[in-house]
Amino acid sequence: MSDASKSQSMPDTMANPPRLGTAKSIKLVVNGQPVASEVAAHTSLLDFLRDGLNLKGAKECCAVGECGACTVLINGEPVNSCLMLAVEAQNARVETVEGLSNGNQLSTVQHAFLNCGGVQCGFCIPGMVMSAEALHRENPEADDAEVREALSGNLCRCGGYNRMFDAMRDASNREVHCKTSEPVTGSAVGADVTRLGGVERVNGSQAFVADLDIAGMTHLKLVTLDVGRARIKRIDATKALAVPGVLAVITADDLPKPMPRFGAERQDRPVIAEGETKFHGEPVAAVVAEAKDIAAHAAGLVEVDYEALEALTSIDAALEAGAPLVQDPELRSGDPLADTNVLKDLNYGWGDVDGAKSDVVIENTYTFPMVTHFAIEPHGFIVDASGEKMTVWSPVQHPFLLQKIMAGLFDMPLSDVHVLSPDPGGGFGGKQMPKFEPLLAFASRRIGRPVRLILTLEETFQAVRRAAATVHIRSGFTNDGDLVFHDIASDYLIGAYADVATRVTQKGNYLGCGPYRVPNARIKARPVLSHTTPSCAFRGFGTPQVNWAVESQINAAARQLGIDGLDIRRRNVSDKGDQVVPGDVPADGHWLQSLEKAADLLGWDTPVAPNRGRGIAVGIKSGATTGLSNSTVRLLADGSVMVFAGTSDMGQGARTIFAQLAADLLGAPYERVSVTMGDTAVVPFDLQTSASRSTVFMGNAITRACEDIHAQVIELACETLGVSDTDVRIEDGHIILPDRRQPIFGFVQQSLGKWNGELIGNGRMRKPTDKDHPLGGSPAFFEFNCTAFEVEVDRSTGEIIIHKHVTVGDVGKALNPLQVEMQDEGAAIMGLGHSIYEQILTDDMGRIRNLGAIDYRIMTTKDMPAELKTGMIENEDGPGPKGAKGVSEGAILCTAPALAAAVADATGAVTRDLPLTPERVWRTLNNSNAQTGGQDA
Amino acid sequence: MNPFDYVSPSHLPEACEAMALHGTDALLLSGGTDLNVALRHGHLTTPCVIDLKKVQELKPSIDRDGGGLRISAQTTMTALGKYLTDHALFPSLRDAAAVVGSIQIRNRATLVGNICNASPAADTVPVLSAMGAEVEIYTADGTRTRLVEHFIEGNRKIDLGPGEIVTAVRIPLPDHPRGCAFDRITRRRGVDLATCNIAVTVSPDEVVVAFGAVTPRPLVLRDQSGVLTSSDASAEDRAKVIDALASQAAPITDVRASADYRTAMLSVIGERALELAHKRLAKALADV
Repeated sequence: MSDASKSQSMPDTMANPPRLGTAKSIKLVVNGQPVASEVAAHTSLLDFLRDGLNLKGAKECCAVGECGACTVLINGEPVNSCLMLAVEAQNARVETVEGLSNGNQLSTVQHAFLNCGGVQCGFCIPGMVMSAEALHRENPEADDAEVREALSGNLCRCGGYNRMFDAMRDASNREVHCKTSEPVTGSAVGADVTRLGGVERVNGSQAFVADLDIAGMTHLKLVTLDVGRARIKRIDATKALAVPGVLAVITADDLPKPMPRFGAERQDRPVIAEGETKFHGEPVAAVVAEAKDIAAHAAGLVEVDYEALEALTSIDAALEAGAPLVQDPELRSGDPLADTNVLKDLNYGWGDVDGAKSDVVIENTYTFPMVTHFAIEPHGFIVDASGEKMTVWSPVQHPFLLQKIMAGLFDMPLSDVHVLSPDPGGGFGGKQMPKFEPLLAFASRRIGRPVRLILTLEETFQAVRRAAATVHIRSGFTNDGDLVFHDIASDYLIGAYADVATRVTQKGNYLGCGPYRVPNARIKARPVLSHTTPSCAFRGFGTPQVNWAVESQINAAARQLGIDGLDIRRRNVSDKGDQVVPGDVPADGHWLQSLEKAADLLGWDTPVAPNRGRGIAVGIKSGATTGLSNSTVRLLADGSVMVFAGTSDMGQGARTIFAQLAADLLGAPYERVSVTMGDTAVVPFDLQTSASRSTVFMGNAITRACEDIHAQVIELACETLGVSDTDVRIEDGHIILPDRRQPIFGFVQQSLGKWNGELIGNGRMRKPTDKDHPLGGSPAFFEFNCTAFEVEVDRSTGEIIIHKHVTVGDVGKALNPLQVEMQDEGAAIMGLGHSIYEQILTDDMGRIRNLGAIDYRIMTTKDMPAELKTGMIENEDGPGPKGAKGVSEGAILCTAPALAAAVADATGAVTRDLPLTPERVWRTLNNSNAQTGGQDA
Repeated sequence: MNPFDYVSPSHLPEACEAMALHGTDALLLSGGTDLNVALRHGHLTTPCVIDLKKVQELKPSIDRDGGGLRISAQTTMTALGKYLTDHALFPSLRDAAAVVGSIQIRNRATLVGNICNASPAADTVPVLSAMGAEVEIYTADGTRTRLVEHFIEGNRKIDLGPGEIVTAVRIPLPDHPRGCAFDRITRRRGVDLATCNIAVTVSPDEVVVAFGAVTPRPLVLRDQSGVLTSSDASAEDRAKVIDALASQAAPITDVRASADYRTAMLSVIGERALELAHKRLAKALADV
């Protein structure tokens, strides 16, 4: 523990803390052990297990029985422990994930989940394996339909469930698609090695931020209003402060003047709402108490007198003349757009759109809704600012950015701000930026103790989302199907604060024309402020929105010109070396190979069954354009290796990749490599974990750190063996001596071992800023993906039945093919979510109408396509180790347009608004009565 | 969540005493899959939760008695589904019980709780209504019964007075061959609440249709035309009658669907359920 969080003299209340409610005695058996305890009547079984018995395996996400993360067995049957009171478990036999395994000795089901790639971030896993365990005990031979049913009450957001289906087959010794293997030393890279940290994730011991218990910790609850935008007239905390155990109620009045503001792009976000709330869920006060139930109860007693104000929740409303300004122009001094709700006016283009000659011009407007990340781990934070230094625990994707922002806000040296970032339970872009850490720091300073805030899922929905978009687009083609121009106007509906909205809009729209040779282009893009949840980074980073429009245009052209969707792309898609954006880096992969592979996997050339339709689409996203990643690698005297990297492993598996790289570079067995992350006091600076950059940037940094060690190994050899450095070299993790070739691992045991030292290597990858480049730098690589579908539509209900879903990425080199597939499937299924179900709906008051898991629908096991296939193209042509490229976002870029094309092919109905819910498809079918694609404009 | 007290009586009179002590603000707890959500979100507050799970008279049991099946108040959806599957009984109720939430939910949720929660979207309620099921209510003066169709008075409103507790559901066993079917529309295939649902009961001389999620209380309609009863009516004629029945529903537009989609889907699931019910009737007639 840091100096900053060493406890001060404990207040009296610590010894005998106040409790809320009526205490009841309960007796039950937990994991075979009798338990007798006192518990408040209102305490859920989940809270009792986690807080009362310190069994932190079961997790809280939705708290309404939808996600299953809290699943435990009661008398052998799986139940949601969030929906049971602890007192209801009187005399029950409770089994939690901790009871399944004996330390690292995993149960059959746990083992299967780990070895079949069922585990990514791991937050859903303790609940998932309990459901799986119950099924396995009852029916080990369960067929796929039974497995899908049994796991349908457990949501996963990282993967595509297929690996879990495999795990269930594996648990009963049936054949599976892929299993991890023990790598041969020296060949870890390229092997399907088991996830590092995977054991902890399946046995429930992985500590996420909500699982941490910091000495002296207090609990904060946000006070919010049931309205989108309001003028705050008066806040009366009297009743809340009277609740025993309440330590403070903090409002804007308790913070410095002027209100401290922060943000990545602009310092526009207040620590707490001051005078006015600008979106549904923006806190107006915060209650700090000894216990979380006390804080939650007291938060409900804070009386806020407010006046509801008109809330802008759509692009049209925000752009209307005379619309209220979301941001005070004083916050935007010097900004020519300060008296509008347009945050930025971005313009890109080339050629001569107006002068270009096309045979066919297609013009349409497409919309993409607000969607939310729905990481199964809700956001959580702990801050100890009670001393002169500050410690922040936050599952943040960018710990060093958080450190910088906190240091700036509190005028502290960076070295005094210690950020610990436990592995996020899913991030997807939602955990990049600081959110409530500043508020907690002020609260912690005020009361002199650490403060913890774990958001509910509903509060998480009110904290992060993807920008919605309206894209108006004109596209010109020749009669042969050659692209002549795109004329794109994208408006992205962002929230009340900028977060990284400009960057999202820039990166998405700079490559708005997609992976094509487009002779003429005009792209106008605007992030538009509104009174809605702050939009932020989200897998795909601005690309899925514009690509929905652009790829749908290509499909519209194909239909109109009578060209096959595959053929029109064969004509126009850039291949390696071809121009993408003129003057910028050309296509960095043989993208047509991905196109052909996707078509092959789908069976594009085979006859299509009656009533079915097929669709295909492509997408590219710019990888990181700038930034610095450092790594330190320590080679210890016994040959074991410690890698230090600032990357956050949020399920993508970065830790595993890094260990594979270091193992091979130092000739060490994979299991002798440890990777330390998530602690700014220990690991060197890394810009961020985003843009699928870590394999390339941090992977290269680690490679170079190992090369730094190589030089020292040669020195060591010269010194200890008396050979000349010209006679020694390093190759593939081996030292090549005049008389032998030996793994570095073994060599250092003999040489270093004698004096018990270690070798320390440092490495970095830096891509400097190019101030003349519209993105600040050219893309380090492109993520290219091709997605294809075969579907059928129930014309009576509008339901889309997905028979096949294929996704192929241009990955350069798969350092761990199973992990690449897991990421690809996860992105594909997340893309399917926003294509068919997901949308945040708001009412006239700016309130989110479908707040929480009950009415915001994501994919379950039973919604999976009948067949989901992923493929990859490996030409070792990326900038990362062994020619790798980043891979985590490709499969979400073009899901929607490929699916919509398949629906149009099957039914003739063309949809330009997402998601393609049954109702929307039904409505389109009924409005069109179209059979042959006659609905294209 | 606001704090509350909790009692777990062992017998019905004791439970009634607890209710009397805390007045009408006390809440009865069965499986808890709806109540605990409401308490957590503050939609309901209470000084005391009265847990009925330990009440001896309500213990899980499914018995055939008299002319029907009696399902006690603490019988879970899982236990009900298993019994109906094992005994090849009431397939429409089995199908409805099988889609209430996830397995985790069905392991806790009870049939009586599903009725008493009185959500217009409850899946078992149209089935029970179409089969003429009754709830058995313990009162200070003895037992009274009420048709499920009438027991539910509106959205979250039931005909249960102070000191009264629902002890069981009784479903009459038909004295003639019958075909029953349940169907519903949801937004996704996995665990979901019904956008609208339907139960159809086809007897040789009567067809009863019950719609759910389209009115505050179950809408139970009897086909007077004779068209739906006829096994050889044309699809077109059936569709017309079903459309006419569906037009009596008054669905609302909400986050799950718009009103006109719901109305249209009633016809779709009406036809699907009717077809399945006729198949089941034909099988029942053949088995006689």
